[in-house]
Amino acid sequence: MSKYTLNVNGRTHSVDVASDTPMLWVLRDALGLVGTKYGCGIGDCGACTIHLDGAPERACQTPVSAVGRKSVTTIEGLDPAGKHPLQKAWCELDVPQCGYCQAGQLMTAAALLKSNPHPNDADIDRAMGGNLCRCASYFRIRAGIKRAAEIASGATPAQGGPR
Amino acid sequence: MKPTPDSPLIDRRHFIKVSALAGGGLLIGTYVRLGELGAAEPLAAPAADFTPNAFISISPSGAVSIIAPNSEMGQGVKTSLPMIVAEELDVAWAQVTITQGDLNPAYGRQTSVGSQSTPTNFAPLRRAGATARAVLVQAAAQTWGVPAGECTTEGGTVIHRASNRRATYGELATKAASLTPPANVPLKDPKDFKLLGTRVAGVDNPKIVTGAPLFGIDVQLPGMLYATYTKCPAFGGKVVSANLDAVKARPGVRDAFVLDGIEGLPSGVAIVADSTWNAFSATKALQVKWDEGAVVSQNSVEMAKQAEQLAAATPAPALPDGAKLVKAAYHYPFLAHATLEPQNCTAVYKNGVMEMWAPSQIPAVGQGLVARGLGLAPKDIVVHITRLGGGFGRRGSNEFSIEVAAIAKKLEGTPVKLMWPREYDFAHDNYRSNGWHYFTAGVDGAGKIVALHDAFVKMQGGPGDMSATGFPFNAIPGSSVNSSKLPGGIPTGYWRAPGDNGNVWATQCFVDELAHAAGRDPLAFTLDLLGGASSQSGFDAQRMTAVLKLATEKAGWGQPRPRGQGQGFAITRTMGAYVAVVADVVVSQGGDLAIKKITAAVDPGMIVNLSAAEAQVQGAILDGISAAWFQKITIERGAAAQTNFDEYPMLRMNDSPRLMEVHFVKSTLPPTGLGEPGLPAAAPAVCNAVFAATGRRIRTLPIVSESLKWS
Repeated sequence: MSKYTLNVNGRTHSVDVASDTPMLWVLRDALGLVGTKYGCGIGDCGACTIHLDGAPERACQTPVSAVGRKSVTTIEGLDPAGKHPLQKAWCELDVPQCGYCQAGQLMTAAALLKSNPHPNDADIDRAMGGNLCRCASYFRIRAGIKRAAEIASGATPAQGGPR
Repeated sequence: MKPTPDSPLIDRRHFIKVSALAGGGLLIGTYVRLGELGAAEPLAAPAADFTPNAFISISPSGAVSIIAPNSEMGQGVKTSLPMIVAEELDVAWAQVTITQGDLNPAYGRQTSVGSQSTPTNFAPLRRAGATARAVLVQAAAQTWGVPAGECTTEGGTVIHRASNRRATYGELATKAASLTPPANVPLKDPKDFKLLGTRVAGVDNPKIVTGAPLFGIDVQLPGMLYATYTKCPAFGGKVVSANLDAVKARPGVRDAFVLDGIEGLPSGVAIVADSTWNAFSATKALQVKWDEGAVVSQNSVEMAKQAEQLAAATPAPALPDGAKLVKAAYHYPFLAHATLEPQNCTAVYKNGVMEMWAPSQIPAVGQGLVARGLGLAPKDIVVHITRLGGGFGRRGSNEFSIEVAAIAKKLEGTPVKLMWPREYDFAHDNYRSNGWHYFTAGVDGAGKIVALHDAFVKMQGGPGDMSATGFPFNAIPGSSVNSSKLPGGIPTGYWRAPGDNGNVWATQCFVDELAHAAGRDPLAFTLDLLGGASSQSGFDAQRMTAVLKLATEKAGWGQPRPRGQGQGFAITRTMGAYVAVVADVVVSQGGDLAIKKITAAVDPGMIVNLSAAEAQVQGAILDGISAAWFQKITIERGAAAQTNFDEYPMLRMNDSPRLMEVHFVKSTLPPTGLGEPGLPAAAPAVCNAVFAATGRRIRTLPIVSESLKWS
């Protein structure tokens, strides 16, 4: 067991865990931040996507010992009030089905929008191809990313409720 | 983070209040049933709350709480079932708070399989809402001294227009609580529905997008430990010995022990640690000597040989004179459910009561397993239903319930979360059975099908048998199906749209083959067949025809396309809903498949929630395509060879068609469920489109196992 000081969602946390513990389980078990999900444990499904210094990373492939002073952002820190354009778009378009993959989808999409505020379909395919949705809500995820881009640029809410 | 009634982060005080409001709920603090406390002593609930039945509570403040009785796994029932109550209660949706119900007989049929949640709950929940509304109307009428028949309701308010008086449901709650609900109440005319049929977003969306705890895996309890349970990779194997001392010496491990001889629980090794990671790490260091048992001799290659022999033993009847013979053999493999949330369950055993948090499609099955396996009375097994990270039929069998309960009983007083590593989730599934169809048909000189025989083979046990009453068998006089079974051993079970998920693929592809053999356009050919279809098993050829015409019309069926581009369709009647799917595909000369557009037409009767209905059809179609395109579980030495998503790929964003249209037929018939019906016709539509594009007929799944090159 080793002690680590981590900066998660703008707060400093101390944890005492085995040095090979992936951030996924540090977040979930040690810090009680269970929004980051376990899907495969091999970096293949994207359900555990978090940001390290703003870049999307697989928490299941990131040992706690490799994090150092990097700032960690999880779904709980994206916007706790749910006002991030992607969160608004996800609710507006009723994107989630079971919802289990959506934290990872949102974190990957948030990094995409930061580097590319108006992604086209090919950009979305490239950025989101690493995030599995077992319910295959891809059609609405794609629409949600485009809608979030609109919201971020000041567009008015869509009419007619969720689509 | 603020605990909420149905959050797995349990706030005991809040929970007790909700239990009392729900009526007949269970108290986790003292483990006694509400009734045992005496009806004269209402608990934390204020006496003035109006709780006409287990589903509804209206407080004097105007807050309306509705219980969602069934398990939410993405199919939308946590939103759509309360919508049914709210419609008849006549409250504005924004007024309503939804709470996930625990397992409780007062909630009726809490079984979320077979797309049955909506059809089985539709009438009871309408009555629950309408009864409450009738009492509120009666309360207003008595208060005002007017006939109840002169009162109307709107948005949670009772109105007496003649005297221009209004009272909110909250204002009437205290009075209503003193009245006896009537036995029979009229229901709304569906044409007056205001909420049903509209688009309503999932009630848990705000929690999902902020990462709040919801799922079984998210349950956290004070002092909780984390467990794995290791079973023999070959099905039916037993533990002979294990290096338990070495495992116990691993970091963070609190205990390790063998469980054997418990009814309903396969022999295995439990490891309990202070974190999931320490439990997983110790599990990797576990070495077990297994008595592998008889199933170890089974493998997929041998099964295929046996299937061919079994089919050959049931030859087709002789064809009518002059008929042209068309023969084809279709095969689909085992599939895993691969819910993205691996199987898990949390339990604590204290004071003779097993309290559980279960991501289960049929929580009563888990309760039953625990009761029988551990000798507990069902009343002493309290089951909280969490949100499910996908179901697809996987979470009905509830092995995780008896596994975690057996561990929790040994660790009396300590909460335990059982977590299956992803590899165990693949290794110990109840797979969709593999299947083989050996079709024989005869086409006469006029292009008419005069004979059809199917020698069908699947695993013994589980669902998915072939029906001789479905389409197209019901349209061809004298057609026949002979089913044979391979020896059991590999567990098979309910996988989204059981039976239809493979059998509709095979039959709908073969119908396309027959159309081509008859030299006819597949659409005209199928419409002709439907024209002669019998109504056995409630098959409504007109509804089937209507969706096929609608989908093909919207998709622009029949336009000429260059080589490498193709359109295909397929139809199904699944779980009572009628579905037609048209696929537009492009296949490169190198054999790369791209799905450009999906057009679907669906007749599920009335729509409850249009947003969820559309999402379910979209998702089911893509799930069907995903499985058919990429997925296969191979059995080697009695065990699954695939262990994770790198070996069992799934459709990704970049494979997903950018264009999808779902058209619903307007209907006043009672609603079917929609979790499954969208799935079966998707794969055959794509395969028929591939044939149109390339001339290559896909008769073995997954599609990636076949070359689609053309020149």
